[in-house]
Amino acid sequence: MADQRFDHKWGMVVDLDRCTGCQACVVACQSENNIPINTKDLFLQRRAYEWIRVERYWEGEFPNVKARFIPIMCQHCENAPCEPVCPVYATYHNDEGLNVQVYNRCVGTRYCANNCPYQVRFFNYWEPVWPERMRNHLNSDVTVRSRGIMEKCSFCIQRIRRAELKVEQQERAVLDYPTMKKRNFLPACVSACPTNALTFADQSDTTGPVNRYFKALDDHEGGESAPRAYRLIEEVGTKPNVIYLKKVDKYPLKNGGGHG
Amino acid sequence: MQTMKLTRRNFLAWAGLSAVGAVACEGFGIREGEFDLQSPAALPEDLVRGKDNWYTSLCRTCPSCEGIIVRVMEGRAKKVQGNPLYPTNHGKQSARCEGALQAAYHPERITGPMLRSGPRGSGQYQPIEWNEALDILRSRIQASAGRAQIFTGPMRGHMGMLVPAFAEAIQGNHLAFEAVDNVTYRAALRNVFGQGVSQATGSGVLSGVLLPDFDIANTEVLVSFGADFLSTWGSPTRYNVGYGEFRGEAPDLGFGGKKRGSHYHVDSRFSMTAANADRWIPVRPGWEGYLAMSMAYVILRDNMQAPGVDVDALTGGRGAEALARFSPDTMSAILPSGGVMGEDAAHLIEGLAHAFAEAKPGLAIGGGSAGAHNNGLFNLEAIYALNYLVGSVGAPGGVRFNPGSPLEGIPASAEEATLADWSKAAEDIRGGNTGLVLVNGVDPVHGLPGSLNFGDAMMRTSAYIVSFSPFFDDTTITADLVLPDRASLEDWGSDIPEPGPGFQTVGFQQPVINPLSELDPRSFPDILLSIASDLGVQDKLPWNRFEDMLKESSEQLYELGRGSISAGSASEFWNRLLAQGGWWDESATGPTDISPPAGLLQSIVSKASPPDFSGDGGYFLVPFAHNTLLEGRNAHLPWLQATPDPLTSITWQSWVEMNDNDAAALSVVEGDIVRLESPEGSIQVPVYLTPAVPPRVLSVPMGHGRSSGPDTATDRPATESQNVMDILSPRQVEGTGSLAWAGTRVRVTRTGESIKVSKFEGIVRAVEIGILPGERIIQTVTPGENDP
Repeated sequence: MADQRFDHKWGMVVDLDRCTGCQACVVACQSENNIPINTKDLFLQRRAYEWIRVERYWEGEFPNVKARFIPIMCQHCENAPCEPVCPVYATYHNDEGLNVQVYNRCVGTRYCANNCPYQVRFFNYWEPVWPERMRNHLNSDVTVRSRGIMEKCSFCIQRIRRAELKVEQQERAVLDYPTMKKRNFLPACVSACPTNALTFADQSDTTGPVNRYFKALDDHEGGESAPRAYRLIEEVGTKPNVIYLKKVDKYPLKNGGGHG
Repeated sequence: MQTMKLTRRNFLAWAGLSAVGAVACEGFGIREGEFDLQSPAALPEDLVRGKDNWYTSLCRTCPSCEGIIVRVMEGRAKKVQGNPLYPTNHGKQSARCEGALQAAYHPERITGPMLRSGPRGSGQYQPIEWNEALDILRSRIQASAGRAQIFTGPMRGHMGMLVPAFAEAIQGNHLAFEAVDNVTYRAALRNVFGQGVSQATGSGVLSGVLLPDFDIANTEVLVSFGADFLSTWGSPTRYNVGYGEFRGEAPDLGFGGKKRGSHYHVDSRFSMTAANADRWIPVRPGWEGYLAMSMAYVILRDNMQAPGVDVDALTGGRGAEALARFSPDTMSAILPSGGVMGEDAAHLIEGLAHAFAEAKPGLAIGGGSAGAHNNGLFNLEAIYALNYLVGSVGAPGGVRFNPGSPLEGIPASAEEATLADWSKAAEDIRGGNTGLVLVNGVDPVHGLPGSLNFGDAMMRTSAYIVSFSPFFDDTTITADLVLPDRASLEDWGSDIPEPGPGFQTVGFQQPVINPLSELDPRSFPDILLSIASDLGVQDKLPWNRFEDMLKESSEQLYELGRGSISAGSASEFWNRLLAQGGWWDESATGPTDISPPAGLLQSIVSKASPPDFSGDGGYFLVPFAHNTLLEGRNAHLPWLQATPDPLTSITWQSWVEMNDNDAAALSVVEGDIVRLESPEGSIQVPVYLTPAVPPRVLSVPMGHGRSSGPDTATDRPATESQNVMDILSPRQVEGTGSLAWAGTRVRVTRTGESIKVSKFEGIVRAVEIGILPGERIIQTVTPGENDP
């Protein structure tokens, strides 16, 4: 029973037209994944890190100005540039489409971070420190990474594992999207996101919200069935398991204004 | 005695004996965890340990008070998430919600009751026993005889009944403090919507105006003025949930979805909400009402009002003519010279009015800085009156009114004290008319404008000050007696959310953890109830503990026989109530058929006056509530300090947002510290340059610059205040007495000092660098371009 595995391939879809840049995902992730407190010193050293971050890009000048937000986390690439460069196989692709980091194996060469085009791998330059009392809220499902270890977004694999263990192994039931959602197995950022800009499911699960986007892009139907879907920095060929939906820009700056 | 040779093998066996192991490791200098075996075969992805429970409760890190579920393992709270059943936030959360964990496990929580042992403000205290502390409190209350002041945050639900009743019982005066209050907003709502926002249940303490809900999800064109509703204003998580649906194509909802709504934001600051709008209209500070009235004029002139709108009744029979002075041609001064995106003011207003009136339906909301000028009441009334013209008052996709409380005597709204009230309180405290001050959950010394000298009054007063805060802050540091309250995750509570979801809702907060053994806090409401009983005033407050009060209400809800919980007995009902996190009845909605007061637009026109500012500086100061710290209440929580501000990505410190050209004229660059000076005083803050701030407008976040409290909350060392409230002039909004916090002008000078700004973004300004569309990080699509 314990050995029975179900085929999954997880994927995330990020709707940029819905993301308001509120940072709820960022804090939810820090709480779920025992991310060390980003102190002011760490920001000044430029060594603060967030497994999911919201980037802000400016466009234009006052008064014709815009700011756009994009949440960026590990893209869990199919052709992950971080994987082949690891000398100790600390980062590898698992059979569920996730790019996994094995903390015990990592020796801290940082080759993976250098090879990642998305800058979503973070190196622990310092031993993480929490005030003694705050260690009480650390998540016991998630390893605390020590100094010298590379870490990154895991799609909250501890929640996925809990889901597979409880639903598939113990209850012998189907782990579909409604179950993931109802029983709180979705990644912390996804369940936090107040506008539902972040969605997560098995890519082949037709009850889930991501299936049609992956199908459209992977079957090269993008322009027709999912006109807003694209992958980040697609041209380098990493084939991420995260798909973004384009921001709808009703009044693009270059074309002037007008109420259309 | 036989000595044992210490080999690695028998050391391990020895160290394995219970607690000795830890001690031995310390003694030998071996790091804790050194002996934890880590198998290279067991991958982190395979580790799932322990059993967890999720309990419902309420979040207290922002005034909108989300329903939450808290993950508890082995008596420790681990994670906060939105309660999927709770009707306001639908399982979603804000960036602030997780802060409840850090508030409970904060290293600088006050561990137990303390008595001041040094001069006031010195921070010297000695621990005392609770019995002794409560004896002191009791005797001080008795001695104060009618000269007590009780300062708390705005209180709804059971605290909203308990605290005023306690104040009345001890003949004290209760003031609810909120740095960014809703006083003007409520006054505008009352004048515009009348019966729609009036409390249905009437008892002594309930005279309030109920904030309405907005059906953002189902609106087509949303025009917002000043209110940063996606970040801090009103009920941001609820608005974000609606905003997601408003934007259409939700992967969740299947292909197609509804038509994407359009959002226009009128604001003198480029806020997070402005960044999300399809179009930001940078109005000059304080002219929002003129713009709204101009839109109303266009709608009436072009006869575009919704069917059934009685224009004659609204305008006293004069029609569009009543608003002629707001014709778009006369509005050029309120928008940037040179226009916005190629359109001059007149075209822009005409277009906006048409888009708004053609929408099915449109929704106009306003607040924040729009209501924080001397003419703020006019601004907000003008904005909300627009909803009548498009027929969205009480209609789907429009303004949705809330019903009153289902519980007799338990208020559904929390009115705040005005600046005038605080001014009087400061006088009383300074002049000796106040004998006792009780403070819970607020920091008025930090949050009131500096010109009131409230901190000075508290420092010099002869009154006895008791603080119930679990943390030191600028107010608690003046206290004679500190009686630390429980953290929200450790305490009972209730809330009638405001704004509510459009139907009757009562949220219940249960303790999900016990305080750690080294902490000895006591629940503030429990203390009030026990004091009330000791003083013989239990006829008004007949409960032993706060929990009993909540249980009694649970029974009343059970007896109503309606709503979200069906149960066979009162005790079963109570259990289900706690399991769901509250009670609500979707059929008990607020009024829908609201007609405007006669001559509404005429009366608004008569109030119109241009904004007017204090100070002769050349820069308008537009402060704003910080995305995670709000007006400072969360400043002690490390996560919320470390969360980058959405627009600047600054963390852990204050800043002033300045336009690139203004900075060039002043010869300052990012990180240069400038002094902002108003007639009331000065502050020093580092500059952050943005391309989006209007020229001659400066924005400083509230919440920073505390001088006392946990290290995380204060920005030591600071030679001069960083608290923007210190330089606000005590100007009031006409007709409401509330603080016009956006009505100050400042002078800017360089100090010559410079610091490295603590921020998340890189050194070079982040602009899109992709040349080809496919290379862009944030790709965009313009409606119509790719539509099938």
